[in-house]
Amino acid sequence: MSTLKLILTLIPFVWTIGMVPFANKVYPIVFGLPFLAFWFVAGIFLAFICLYIIYYIDSRLKQDV
Amino acid sequence: MSNETVSLLIIFLFIISATIIGLIPGMKKKMNLEEWAVGGRNFGRWLNWFILAGEIYTAFAFLGASGWAYSRGGPTFYILGYGALAYIIGYYLLPKISPIGRKYGLMTQPDLIEHIYKSKSLSLFAAIIGVAFLLPYLQLQLTGLGIIIETCSYGQLGRTPAMLIAFVLVASFVYLSGLKGVASTAVLKDILLMIAVVFFGLYLPIHHFGSLGGMFEAIETAKPGFLALPGGTKNFDVSWVMSTLVVTSLGFYMWPHFTTNSFSARNPDVLRHNAVYLPLYQICLLFPMLVGFAALLLLPTVLKTPDMAFMAVVQAYFPGWTLGLVGGAGALACMIPAADLLLSTSMLFTRNIYSKTFGKNTPPDKLIHVVRLVLLGLTSVALCLAIYLPNMLVNLLLTGYSGVTQFFPLIVLGLYWKKATRLGAFSGLLVGEILVFALILGKLDPLPFAGMNLNAGFVALICNFVVFVIVSLVTSKEVSTATETKEKNIVSNI
Repeated sequence: MSTLKLILTLIPFVWTIGMVPFANKVYPIVFGLPFLAFWFVAGIFLAFICLYIIYYIDSRLKQDV
Repeated sequence: MSNETVSLLIIFLFIISATIIGLIPGMKKKMNLEEWAVGGRNFGRWLNWFILAGEIYTAFAFLGASGWAYSRGGPTFYILGYGALAYIIGYYLLPKISPIGRKYGLMTQPDLIEHIYKSKSLSLFAAIIGVAFLLPYLQLQLTGLGIIIETCSYGQLGRTPAMLIAFVLVASFVYLSGLKGVASTAVLKDILLMIAVVFFGLYLPIHHFGSLGGMFEAIETAKPGFLALPGGTKNFDVSWVMSTLVVTSLGFYMWPHFTTNSFSARNPDVLRHNAVYLPLYQICLLFPMLVGFAALLLLPTVLKTPDMAFMAVVQAYFPGWTLGLVGGAGALACMIPAADLLLSTSMLFTRNIYSKTFGKNTPPDKLIHVVRLVLLGLTSVALCLAIYLPNMLVNLLLTGYSGVTQFFPLIVLGLYWKKATRLGAFSGLLVGEILVFALILGKLDPLPFAGMNLNAGFVALICNFVVFVIVSLVTSKEVSTATETKEKNIVSNI
């Protein structure tokens, strides 16, 4: 696994699990959601973006071979 | 017609039509055991996507998440976190497992474990544990269906009769059709439930409080801190959420029924493609929570069963036919996953326990009768659990997660780490499961440790992992010779 793929894999885990102590608050309310809920929702989008890039890298690799 | 007649009528109409749709593929020809369970192994991309998604949106997502939001507040938000992380793990894991399954004709998770470790006793042990922890999941679906029927009867039916009706519905639905039937009805249920949940999740807060933010401000004023951790609980704090996210994201693909489903995918690219887009689907888990929070402010009395929050708020503010529609889609959200779970559990029991022990010489065509008998047996056990050991839906799922997560070191290290040994796998799993049982039965979930409150499954997983690695390192000589012979075999095959 390349370093780039490893970093892309780890980012969502750090965001969603590692940062919970810093996200544990009600305010500010973002997009109508308490901050903690907003944090997890943002984590979902982040996971999608990271996976999408990983998938893109993997399909490029396949075509090259 | 009275409200309860209308709503119950609509629900039964839903269930009957779903059963009929489910029956059609089954009527065409007699299916053997493999076709019945793995759908003949040739689902395409979209159908496979619906099977995976249909399973994720269960009674847990719809009733459990709203029930926890209503009664627990902040800790509920963990539910938004773990799915997306699990799909990242699935992106790497499933394409690795699926080809092995196809190549060696594996059908269940214990089959895979037997293949990795060449050990029949380890596979038997894993099968027993798999069945044991699929039961609370099954109980969750039955309880959910019971709750829906109970609310829709407007108090005419008590919990126990409602549960009995749920039992009869689930058992006959599964008894009559297999996985292909499940897939075609999942499409119907997904669309309906999606519309219902998104509508109520947005309508209730906006209509009554002006906006989502307005509703959350009102909750914060009424119950300060309810929307953060530990919210409405004493010990579901930051450390509990973090450890629970580890347990649930690692355990997600360790459910035995997920392995069976990944064997049914046509090629590994289907699984990778699914993994990329599935995280976005997790957003939908937010809407039932919004309904739960709205219920907290809108319902005049405190519910004895918080899992009723979604249904109760619809009942209080909408006519009977609306409740019936939600109940009907919700009933399918309980029954379809229950069907899939039952099928996998009975497969585990029949193939990996019954055929390996007291039923060794049963011919394959007789085995399908055994499967159907086991189906009834398992549903009955889940019914008894639901009546005599009731629990909140989210708690039931968390119990199951603590148990199945213990497969993670065994399967992942078994696939990726050359030094993993049979003995290491066995001792790790044994230590993990004993700890899970001891902590949960000893009411030590979450476990207070150094000022933190750790999920019991997390504590067990750490011990499991450490024991696995140490024992494997000590006994790894055995395996290095085993891999040598494996390599020799590969060379001779070429």
